[in-house]
Amino acid sequence: MVNGAVRVDPTEPDLSVRIGRLELRYPTLMGSGCYGSGEEYAPFIDLSLLGGVVLKSVTRLPRLGNDPPRLAAVPSGMLNAIGLQNPGIDAYLERDVAKFADRPCAVIGSVAGFSVDDYAYVTKRLAARDEIDAVELNISCPNVGTEGETFACDPELAEAATRAARAVTGKTLIVKLSPNVTDIARIARIAEDAGADALAVINTVRGMAIDVERQRPRLGNGSGGLSGAAIRPIAVLAVYEVAQAVRIPIVGQGGIETARDALEFFLAGASAVGIGTGNFTDAQAPVKVVAGVRDYLIARGKTRLRDIVGAANPAFAGVRA
Amino acid sequence: MPLAQTASSVHAAVVVDRREPAPGIVVLGLRVPSLEESVRPGQFAMVAMPSGEQAAVALAIYEAGAQHLSLMIVVVGTRTAALANLAIGERIEMLAPLGNGFEAETLGDDVALVAGGVGIASLLLLAAAVVRRGARACLYYGARAAGALVESDRFARLGIEVSNATDDGSRGYRGFVTELFAAEGRRHSGIAGCGPTPMLRRLAEVASQRRIPAQLSLEEPFGCGVGACWGCVIPHAADENGAPQNLIGATRNLPSLAVGHRRTTQRKDERFTYVRVCREGPVFWSEELRW
Repeated sequence: MVNGAVRVDPTEPDLSVRIGRLELRYPTLMGSGCYGSGEEYAPFIDLSLLGGVVLKSVTRLPRLGNDPPRLAAVPSGMLNAIGLQNPGIDAYLERDVAKFADRPCAVIGSVAGFSVDDYAYVTKRLAARDEIDAVELNISCPNVGTEGETFACDPELAEAATRAARAVTGKTLIVKLSPNVTDIARIARIAEDAGADALAVINTVRGMAIDVERQRPRLGNGSGGLSGAAIRPIAVLAVYEVAQAVRIPIVGQGGIETARDALEFFLAGASAVGIGTGNFTDAQAPVKVVAGVRDYLIARGKTRLRDIVGAANPAFAGVRA
Repeated sequence: MPLAQTASSVHAAVVVDRREPAPGIVVLGLRVPSLEESVRPGQFAMVAMPSGEQAAVALAIYEAGAQHLSLMIVVVGTRTAALANLAIGERIEMLAPLGNGFEAETLGDDVALVAGGVGIASLLLLAAAVVRRGARACLYYGARAAGALVESDRFARLGIEVSNATDDGSRGYRGFVTELFAAEGRRHSGIAGCGPTPMLRRLAEVASQRRIPAQLSLEEPFGCGVGACWGCVIPHAADENGAPQNLIGATRNLPSLAVGHRRTTQRKDERFTYVRVCREGPVFWSEELRW
């Protein structure tokens, strides 16, 4: 158990969430790649008021990441193509992971790869560390050529990667799905059957912006992943559909900036929410989301967040964990 | 010795002064009761949109004092327009001060300040710091036209000699400020530059040819502004382990980095890594950039 889901005040609604073996005091995870290792935001928010931080993805070998520019502001959102910049699992375990021990919230490692063996190898080594409470499998990075996202777009590869990671750790395994597929519910079922404890829905939506003066794409990588308010309706529908297809918990994410945004995801069937780009708009967004959800529950006489999960989804198939 | 890191924090601010030195350029004076520590020259703020509906904007801290700072805003889009339209009495929130700024101590006793456009906003606090330590400074300041050259008098009041360049020749030298600076034969002990990327690249070449150490404040699109997203990176000299070399100021909790190799115009195959403009910068030694 990470940040004990102990209710002290019986008049306060219970916002805790159980995801596999992971217990979160608050239903908020900071999106991978948007929150560094948490330390970067520590001057601006009390990290103990977060459910957890999903770390930046790590790969088997070091990666420089994409050439800049890596960001482009677009209407109601942002395009990014960072390209999984990371030191590789060896240097990461040797020099970086120990620094995550003192985080006052859950610490969820993120694993990216280019082969089934990569996912198994990196997951096994990362999950073996005490500083890591759970693992998110990033099978949906849109910014590393065709290889990264292939795993979330190909049912057989999604199954193989999930199964391989499942086989090497008993810690909570969250599989992050791509919206860039025809039938996300089908991939979700496959990941569930392959042993995922939970699903993160969704990663960014592929997109591009072009500089009309210079007549070339604005991002160094050409295409990128779209995040922010622009993708919220896409993400809400994806959660809604996945929640009808699986019984495991869903971490709903995509453009969440306020409590009302988060509530859409809970009502669609998410047990927890991810906040990524929303932190760039307001560094206090995670605490405001929690406060607003709490007020919403109190106003409706609800004592537990899980009682509203899927409330707007008549075919909700999940377990209200 | 690395400078101590000023503690960054979330601050609530009230607009107490607003002036428009040129059309489309606004200086907002802000009262920031929670701003206790001093701001270093070259540091910046991530200013939240009043509407809360768009990403925050990175702005150089133009002036700073006890519980007070000012920001210079050039209107280029909807977000800068929203900030420029704030009225006296309105409230905003910001993360500040951010980044490692200029290091006045290592620029010597005859400093060239080179500004292009709104880059001027990063240099006033530095100018004051240079003068305060008894060093001499000259400002080379360029803009598209005379009307866009703002606030030169603030520098002149510090006893700094100001030379101007304009694209249309409406004031001072006709052409780029880097040409003006290159034509000026004076042997400065150090250069501090801020402006658009093409200007800084040219300034880096001039500094290298003249063997004058230069600190450049870079401009890149920011995501978070606090080092979390790795969106605003630039290639920087690194050792064989990927550790960036000779950064200005403190490097807090720098994670391990991958190392790359690149051919540059002046150097052959050299090691580099991508560092964050918002966190390791925005000010870097020109010689260490691998752009």
